[in-house]
Amino acid sequence: MPRQVPDGDAPLSAPEGPKQPVWDLPVRLVHWLLACLITFSWWSVHNHHTDWHIWSGCAILTLLIFRLLWGFVGSSTARFSSFVRGPRVLAEYLRGSWSGIGHTPLGALSVLALFGALAVQVSLGLISEDEDGLYTGPLYRLVSTDTSDKARDLHELWFNVILGLVILHLAAIIFYRLRGRKLTKPMITGRAAIEPGSQPMRPGKWWAAIICLAIGIGVTRWIIAGAPPFSP
Amino acid sequence: MRIVPLALASIALIAAAAAGAAVTKVSGAKAAQVMHERHEGMENIGKAFKALHREFDASSPFVPTVRSSATQIANLSKSASGWFPAGTGPDAGKTGAKPEIWQNQQDFAAKLSAFQKAALVFNSAASGSDMSAAKARYADLGGTCKACHDKYRTEMHH
Repeated sequence: MPRQVPDGDAPLSAPEGPKQPVWDLPVRLVHWLLACLITFSWWSVHNHHTDWHIWSGCAILTLLIFRLLWGFVGSSTARFSSFVRGPRVLAEYLRGSWSGIGHTPLGALSVLALFGALAVQVSLGLISEDEDGLYTGPLYRLVSTDTSDKARDLHELWFNVILGLVILHLAAIIFYRLRGRKLTKPMITGRAAIEPGSQPMRPGKWWAAIICLAIGIGVTRWIIAGAPPFSP
Repeated sequence: MRIVPLALASIALIAAAAAGAAVTKVSGAKAAQVMHERHEGMENIGKAFKALHREFDASSPFVPTVRSSATQIANLSKSASGWFPAGTGPDAGKTGAKPEIWQNQQDFAAKLSAFQKAALVFNSAASGSDMSAAKARYADLGGTCKACHDKYRTEMHH
């Protein structure tokens, strides 16, 4: 009997039939923008462009806020309620008796870990200052110079956690690819053939996406301004 | 043309003079001592600069802090002339100083001297009463730190 591959991650190309929407546009945009901005953040800080690095971090902050809100009001596969699941469902998935579209129970852990690690990284960056006192995160004045220095050291160390999660993410994509499951294309086109009987994606409202984005930009601008009235 | 060799000779002379302290090579305990002094000095300049950053970011800077930090940087900048003798690069121990310092001595000396000048100019601006003028000189000073660090300092890991 051929090896059973658990049916799961939304972007199934294995099943036959017409392709159905599985990832909405905001989810895909956030994904690819994060991939670019994380790379750019790493590159800029290692090439004496600390100012660009800080702007890139602020852009990531906007995406994180947007994605958090979209996780409550977005399409069915974007919502936390559809992919944050307990250990029982995870066990089902690992046994191969889970099917559906969107993040698999295991993939969902990876998503949450990545977003959590990015939130930590951005928070550390906001209160950091560089070694020379030339550049500061927008909220550095909320803490002492010592704390800013420690935050910078941790910010540098924490990147390794993000790097580890990114490598795991890429390894998982290769792992599925070797088993005939293509995950990258659906993250570009948003569409994949889905299992018969699976619920297709219910899209979110475009105006809800606009509101989430406006809030994300608004909160980021407020933080860039030093989070008045809390900054001294 | 006689002017050409003469010009070359004077350029060489200026270069040698500019390289200054870097000409005498040090080693052993002396090297370790210079590197330690350099590290402490740079760290103190950094601390003073961070204090200045906070003051100039505030709605009204606390003038005594601005003045004492400016004086401290000006004094330390003078000592900096003796911080980079040959033999105090990464071969001699843990340091953020790149070997390029001793390969481009003329350029390095020019950058160091730009920093020292900017530190003095800022110090005199800070002793005045116009803090927005002082802030502009402080920004110039920061530019001289960055110009040199971007080229001649490796990323330090404490």
